[in-house]
Amino acid sequence: MSIGKTIYNSIFKRSSTFTLAFIASAFIFERTLDSACDTIFDNINKGKLWKDIKDNYTQ
Amino acid sequence: MSFPRFNLKGKMLKPSTVSGYFRATSQVVSNQLNVSNNAAILPKKKVAHIPFQGTSALSLAKTLPNANLSVSCGPAASLQVRWAHTDITVPNFDNYRRNSTKDPTRKASETEDTRKNFTYLLAGGLGAASVYGTKNIVTYFISSMSASADVLALAKIEVKLGDIPEGKSVTFKWRGKPLFIRHRTADEIAAERAVPVESLRDPQHDNDRIQKPEWLVVLGVCTHLGCVPIANSGDFGGYYCPCHGSHYDASGRIRKGPAPLNLEVPYYEFAAEDTLVVG
Repeated sequence: MSIGKTIYNSIFKRSSTFTLAFIASAFIFERTLDSACDTIFDNINKGKLWKDIKDNYTQ
Repeated sequence: MSFPRFNLKGKMLKPSTVSGYFRATSQVVSNQLNVSNNAAILPKKKVAHIPFQGTSALSLAKTLPNANLSVSCGPAASLQVRWAHTDITVPNFDNYRRNSTKDPTRKASETEDTRKNFTYLLAGGLGAASVYGTKNIVTYFISSMSASADVLALAKIEVKLGDIPEGKSVTFKWRGKPLFIRHRTADEIAAERAVPVESLRDPQHDNDRIQKPEWLVVLGVCTHLGCVPIANSGDFGGYYCPCHGSHYDASGRIRKGPAPLNLEVPYYEFAAEDTLVVG
């Protein structure tokens, strides 16, 4: 209950902090989504990507 | 039920008595049966008069006055008409309430923060999603304006300086324009450095236009009307524009003729000792 009160008073009460909060969360969400998608892509294509076969062609 | 308003209290059910209830028929035709007086005596029915109790919406509506309303007014009669609203139970809205407000003994202020937080969290999530979507749409449209990969690949050229002999100017094509790279001799360098800056139309010292004294890199576009000057000609030993007679010196500066500015020096850098990268 007190955590909810703290969150409400510090973030949601003012429009400025509310806007900052959801812009920051959009940034975090984008970075997380991008890195998660890259990881899935790398796992599916493991062994076919240039970074995996680079050692066979360069000294 | 109150449907049969008429009852046949202990009366004989005979054709002569029945005919009174069916006045629409003009004539009662007696059957051929010989009915004796004692043939059908119905047992006396007990009729209980139960006061009317309407419970359904239809029966309640039927109790409402709907025609020939008359309101009497006076000291003894009340004007107040009592409608059927005091005995209707308050509807239950529990399905539409949040769980924290279902208990009527709890204060609403105790659960206010969590309820507000939930609502604002939903609004904030929507805001974050729309910021993310807007950012991607804007990025998509702005990146369509940027140069494509093939254009960027042609934006730089790499020149091997060892192939250019001293005293010679070589022309390359760079971004659709001619590019002059001149290997200057020691005499030319000394001559250009000695030129007084104040005497120039576009005052610029030779040191401001070069990185290494032996190499002059300028765009081969005359600053007058855009012709391509000819190397190693003109009065000053540099470049000469054949269109309207502008003379440039070995540092690419305008010395004579109609051109207002010196030849443009592009951005370039020496990637290695004898490799020049322009762009």
